[in-house]
Amino acid sequence: MPDCDSLDLLVTPYVDGDIGDADRRRVDDHLRLCAACHSRVAAERAVRELVRTRAPELAGLRASDSLRTRCSAAAAAARGQRSIVPAAAPPSWRARLVPYALAASLILVVGGAFLYQATDKSTGVLAAELTADHVKCFAMNALLGTHDEARAVEGAMLASFDWQMHLPDHAERMGLELVGARPCLYGEGKIAHIMYRHRGQPVSLFMLPRTARRASVVDVLGHEASVWCVGNRTFVLVTREARPEVDRLASFVQAALR
Amino acid sequence: MTAAKGSPPVSPAFEAEALAAIDSLYRAALRLMRVPADAEDLVQDTYLKAFRAADRFEPGTNLRAWLFTILYNTARNRARDRARDAVDVDSELVERATDAPASTGVPETPETLLLRDTLAPDLQAALDALPDAFRQAVWLRDVEEFSYAEIARMLSIPIGTVMSRISRGRALLFQHLNRLRPVNA
Repeated sequence: MPDCDSLDLLVTPYVDGDIGDADRRRVDDHLRLCAACHSRVAAERAVRELVRTRAPELAGLRASDSLRTRCSAAAAAARGQRSIVPAAAPPSWRARLVPYALAASLILVVGGAFLYQATDKSTGVLAAELTADHVKCFAMNALLGTHDEARAVEGAMLASFDWQMHLPDHAERMGLELVGARPCLYGEGKIAHIMYRHRGQPVSLFMLPRTARRASVVDVLGHEASVWCVGNRTFVLVTREARPEVDRLASFVQAALR
Repeated sequence: MTAAKGSPPVSPAFEAEALAAIDSLYRAALRLMRVPADAEDLVQDTYLKAFRAADRFEPGTNLRAWLFTILYNTARNRARDRARDAVDVDSELVERATDAPASTGVPETPETLLLRDTLAPDLQAALDALPDAFRQAVWLRDVEEFSYAEIARMLSIPIGTVMSRISRGRALLFQHLNRLRPVNA
């Protein structure tokens, strides 16, 4: 088992989800055996989620109207003049980021470039990362106790992804209970995560915009991930349930979502 | 940098996107300067520099991060001019100053209670009580959602130091908020 000090710099990227697979496995292995580091990760993760959850309230302070006017005027004043300011981030910085930026989730953001094709991950890696997000989001939901109505979820999908969608009608007949939805980060892009419970079992439906994947069902991390594509959107349904049940749920969702 | 004649360097789209970050920049400026009038001057100066150098911004990169970098650089230069370095802290000194163990063997329950019970004012107070270096790192990462590399550029510190400050900042926040809990319960 690696000692705690050797993993010190990996803890924050691990908590943030900005860590490569090999390092993540190292930390996972260590945490299973080290109660102190497990507690440290739990504490850091709790604060991270707390700050992010409260961010809209913390960031409530706004610039005054007079400052807006002054800054708008600065644009006109600056035209044609010279100045020395730091150059924009060179591309090398972004390239160095890619290995770190894997599965940071639970982050409410708008915008961002999509790297699914660029990173060229296998469907197995994609399924594993989404399964990790599935587990994390449900753990967080259990703590926060949030519950969204269907209309709120549909509104959020439209606002965040420009996705005019309608959740499956009569989901309860399938034993599905809507839990909620949240945007997650994947690579440097944003994906939709809709959470259900199926007879009490967590079920996640991820939607990756502007992404195409071949249809498949992947057995990963003790879960089944059913992948399919409609137009330029890829859908991934993740649950612990048995393959026949996964196929049934995926068919039901597929029929309703476009 | 001068734009080609007849081609203004500040396009309306660039101007609009840049000005959309004004609230975030003002909050960052206020944390640095602590006086609203000084914070406003810093933001205005930041925009003047940004608009004058609009042609040096690399499309496709993060404009907000670029503006924050200008803001922090401007604040550092001002502090240097005043021979009072309020921004550019000595990384090693900061790390040593709070070299307490990040973990104190906390059981699972406090994390769940922390998430459920901590209100924004308590969290804001806890953030305000953090040393500047840690508060900036946590804020830029968890509120403004910048990457480690972007924060490193803004604060002119190595990425490892950014991660370390975020980690220690979160650990200090956890300890601080846990101390508050019995009072709030």
